[in-house]
Amino acid sequence: MKKSIVLTMALFLSLLLSTGGVSFAEDVIKIGAGQPITGRFAFAGKHIHAGLMDSLGYANEQGGVDGKKFKYIYEDTGYDLKRAIASFKKLMAKDSPVMMYGESTGVGKAMAPEINSRYHVVYGSTSFSEELSDRSKNPYIFVSGPTYAQQFGVLLKYIANQPKKNNKPHRVAFFYSDTEFGRDPIPFARKLAKKLGIEVVAEEVTKVGAVDITSQLLDLKRNKPDYCIFQGYVVPPIPEVIRGAKDFGLDITFMGTFWAMSKMLLGKLGPDAEGYMGVSPYSYWYMDDVPMIQAMHAYTKKHHPDVEYRPNSYMQGWFTGMIYVKLAKMCHEAGLAITGENLKNMIPKIKDWDTGGLNGVVSFDKSNATGTGKVYKAENGKFVAVSDWINLDE
Amino acid sequence: MYIGDFKEAYASDQAVFVNTTSRFWLGVLFVLLLIFPFVAGDYFLFMANLAGIAIIGAVGLNILTGFAGQISLGHAAFIGVGGYTAAILATRFNLPFLLCLPLSGFMAAFFGIIVGGPSLRLKGLYLCIATLAAQLILEFVFVHWESVTGGIRGINVSSPEIFGFVLDNDFKFYFLTLVMVIICVTAARNLFRTRVGRAFIAIRDRDISAELMGINLMQYKLYAFGISSFFAGISGCLWVNFLKTVTPEHFPLMESVRYLAMIIVGGMGSILGSIFGAIFMTIVPEMIKTILGLLVNIFPTAMSFLFPLQQVIFGLLIVGFLIFEPHGLAEIWYRIKNYFHLWPFDH
Repeated sequence: MKKSIVLTMALFLSLLLSTGGVSFAEDVIKIGAGQPITGRFAFAGKHIHAGLMDSLGYANEQGGVDGKKFKYIYEDTGYDLKRAIASFKKLMAKDSPVMMYGESTGVGKAMAPEINSRYHVVYGSTSFSEELSDRSKNPYIFVSGPTYAQQFGVLLKYIANQPKKNNKPHRVAFFYSDTEFGRDPIPFARKLAKKLGIEVVAEEVTKVGAVDITSQLLDLKRNKPDYCIFQGYVVPPIPEVIRGAKDFGLDITFMGTFWAMSKMLLGKLGPDAEGYMGVSPYSYWYMDDVPMIQAMHAYTKKHHPDVEYRPNSYMQGWFTGMIYVKLAKMCHEAGLAITGENLKNMIPKIKDWDTGGLNGVVSFDKSNATGTGKVYKAENGKFVAVSDWINLDE
Repeated sequence: MYIGDFKEAYASDQAVFVNTTSRFWLGVLFVLLLIFPFVAGDYFLFMANLAGIAIIGAVGLNILTGFAGQISLGHAAFIGVGGYTAAILATRFNLPFLLCLPLSGFMAAFFGIIVGGPSLRLKGLYLCIATLAAQLILEFVFVHWESVTGGIRGINVSSPEIFGFVLDNDFKFYFLTLVMVIICVTAARNLFRTRVGRAFIAIRDRDISAELMGINLMQYKLYAFGISSFFAGISGCLWVNFLKTVTPEHFPLMESVRYLAMIIVGGMGSILGSIFGAIFMTIVPEMIKTILGLLVNIFPTAMSFLFPLQQVIFGLLIVGFLIFEPHGLAEIWYRIKNYFHLWPFDH
């Protein structure tokens, strides 16, 4: 009995110490993050986490902002809405960072009212949702790249510029999952396709990770699209669809947006990957002529010598880190204190910012998203750029 | 000196608070709950609100599953119905929160009764599958009836307002949650001192005998579904007003399973068990995370190993409880209470 009481007391004390804690006034810029390091999203979450941490570490090695270093404080959220919100509140209460990072569109939506009314912190996330990038509603929240709608836009713009078959309009199919992630860009894509003179001949909707896609394949066969764009999937059912289409002898160019543009997917596709296309907001790890990728290589070699490859989710984390650093530097240059409020006011002022080739030259002047992406094509298991940076706002 | 309870009438046997001691400790608890928000930070208040909302939902499910013996895998969907009703009434019809709250409950109860229909024919696993169907159908409706539910993007609601007080942060919301928890728990506790509650228990223990005793099975099973879903609806309404947004992703099948886990861990057929279970399932994962977080600070390289361990530890805890205490946390509590009942003269 006594032993257990002592044990419980010890546990309680350690908990108290961990959550209360004494805070020292430090001359650092605090960035908090609730990262989905475990759970369903861990495949990307752990790389986003690594990318963001390294990006800030790199900025610190470059001298930080006027000698002020960035401090990265994170928690694991397990890709669970409640835990993610709890982490957000805990980090805010304990460390009061000026910028935050979080998982999923859902968390962003749930936190948005309080970010606007109470917390006043700049917030970046794993999400490319259009709703979150709406500056009039969510001035503190930004998207680290183009929204899904803008990514669709980049692809449609690219398709519109391709030579037409028999002088007929391009025929495009949308293939998306029945989730927020899948449906987010579709209304916008329909409108833009119409504007660009592209015919949307089919829309296939499936559950996430659907296995049986026969009826969708038959529908594709019936409607004969030239292009088919996936949205809302990471891997399945993309390989099944591409293989099935091949078996049916269909001549369709398949395309994906950011999450379906990973090396992991190419690996799953194997020889069928050849010719798969898509849009990504970032450069890839093996593009070693890009200055920012070179910086990543050097940093990784120095700090994580055993790491050989960094996936595109790492790039997302790294780029988000670059935005945080950029905002802090802009505040400093304007002679303003680095507070959430001031940082927020800097977002629309990011204009023609050279990201060292990682995301092209980007601006946040029109919305809290960059609107910039590049079209890639898979060749020999790697993505090769087939377009320059395409900006949707232009 | 206190040596035991001497009951002279059935009324005292049925009393909620058996003696002055229990009334005293309940008073202490109440005072502590009132002091809590003034000393706790944002994070703890958020957790307390979550736990409170979960308690109401868990009490509801326990009425149906623990007391009336009808298994349900659709509880999250009923919570969702309540949540969506609250959101729609507040945004489309501008109804005040105090009206939305009971209406959400009634709407969820209405759906609960419909879903409960098959329970007259189906039992056990079969009923389980019928309620699973309800969960899936309702989830589908949340996603696809876009003109009403806002589809996958859901509905954003503004902070609830009660008599001019805008409950726009965790601190203010805490008091609403606390009041609602007290009302719901009191109502549930008293339900089982009435004919309806006792009929539920009779149905659970042996439905044929219950029918022989003159209990109309259909009527009372539907009552059980209705009352349980009413609680779910209230819980959903609070949840939506607390988060200020509702999307279909808030009410997945896993959430229904989580509620079942709550009442199993806490104790089936025990109101107190629902409370313990809800708190356990909400707070313990966070505690494990905090402790592992400390370890990660000490051994940063072990991160990839320590974080996934959370789920394992949590799972083991549940299994451990079930093996060593199949009647749930409530039973442990009763044992501790009994130990101190006549303390220090327990011989």
